[in-house]
Amino acid sequence: MNYEDTKTQRQSGSAVRIRFKSGPLCLCIFLSLWFLTASASAHHGNSAYDEQARVPVKGTVTEFVWTNPHAQIYMDVKDKNGKVVNWGIETNSPGILTRAGWTRRSLKAGDEVTIILCPAKNGAPVAYIGSGDPGTKVIFSDGRELDFKDRTAQ
Amino acid sequence: MQYFLAHSIALVATLTFAPLEMPQAAQTQSTFNAHDLSGAWQFAPGGGGQGPGDNFPSLTPWGRAKYDANKPGYGPKAAPGGNDPILKCDPMGIPRILFVIWPFEIIHIPGRILMFFEGQHTIREIWMDGRKLPDDPDPRWYGYSVGKWDGDTLVVETIGFNEKTWLGAQGQPHSDQMRTIERYRRVDHDTIEFNLTIDDPKTYTKTWYAEPRTIKLKPGVEIPESFCVASEEEEFAKRIREPAARQIGKE
Repeated sequence: MNYEDTKTQRQSGSAVRIRFKSGPLCLCIFLSLWFLTASASAHHGNSAYDEQARVPVKGTVTEFVWTNPHAQIYMDVKDKNGKVVNWGIETNSPGILTRAGWTRRSLKAGDEVTIILCPAKNGAPVAYIGSGDPGTKVIFSDGRELDFKDRTAQ
Repeated sequence: MQYFLAHSIALVATLTFAPLEMPQAAQTQSTFNAHDLSGAWQFAPGGGGQGPGDNFPSLTPWGRAKYDANKPGYGPKAAPGGNDPILKCDPMGIPRILFVIWPFEIIHIPGRILMFFEGQHTIREIWMDGRKLPDDPDPRWYGYSVGKWDGDTLVVETIGFNEKTWLGAQGQPHSDQMRTIERYRRVDHDTIEFNLTIDDPKTYTKTWYAEPRTIKLKPGVEIPESFCVASEEEEFAKRIREPAARQIGKE
């Protein structure tokens, strides 16, 4: 499954336009995305990102930056022409991530991951994932996931 | 029959002993000192877009000009990019830092209450030794705060602000004439009710009564080192924020 088109639309409930190479599995994913999209509430509030969209992007982590107030994930992603593009993904502060069970070692260069993200509206290879946008997360190739649920919440 | 008998005994036992246990559990949970707010706390999710509220009083012409110049990333004026002072790690100030999505610790020491915010790793002091507010305070990011107990409510009055901070992420402005009054009332072990009034006649035509909010205890949370470091933020802006905010078609 390659991410092929970063364009998004902000139309009633239908926010993501993506094409997949394989059939039924991707239909399932698309329907899941549609559900997530329809039910997602955008709280992060950074207007540069399409927070109604939840787009899966697969790639190889190149760097995980553990700095306050925005940790960052960088990863190489193949576009539709096979060209590798390095994506930058903004996420929460180390404090929030720690309370969600992350550590500075949660991601490392070479990890194969799929990230469910809110892409930039302008189509640049940058995106947001975090506690403000439920449904965004990191999925490892072995199925493990990193999400943003506060494990200290009462 | 044996089955019925066993269940009847279990039911009677449950009804007999449950009332004895429940008040004990409730009592443990309700044991707290209303004048001791020690611990890590965080605002429960609420409206207001990480600020005092979505609705605010009419602006004066001075306030309107300042509001128009503010370009927030949140709320009705939201646009990519913008000039939110925190993008350069400027101190958030009072009251904004209270509303962010990070916890803060309340620490009682003789003569003072300290608030230690995870946001920007900041300590704010509230003088509790009966002193008056200064007549001519230097302008500060966090102002000058004195507090007192009114029954079980901690009342914190602050003046002496600079004009550089926003009241919330939506870009509402204030002037150096702002006076804030915060009220904290611990209503149970885990909960503080919070009220805030903002008086700033240079910016707003009326007193702003912020939306009441709830603050919840966060047991076991340690405030990590969480400075906002301008050089790191600048690097982040170059790599992610600016590409995300760039207008389509412009490189």
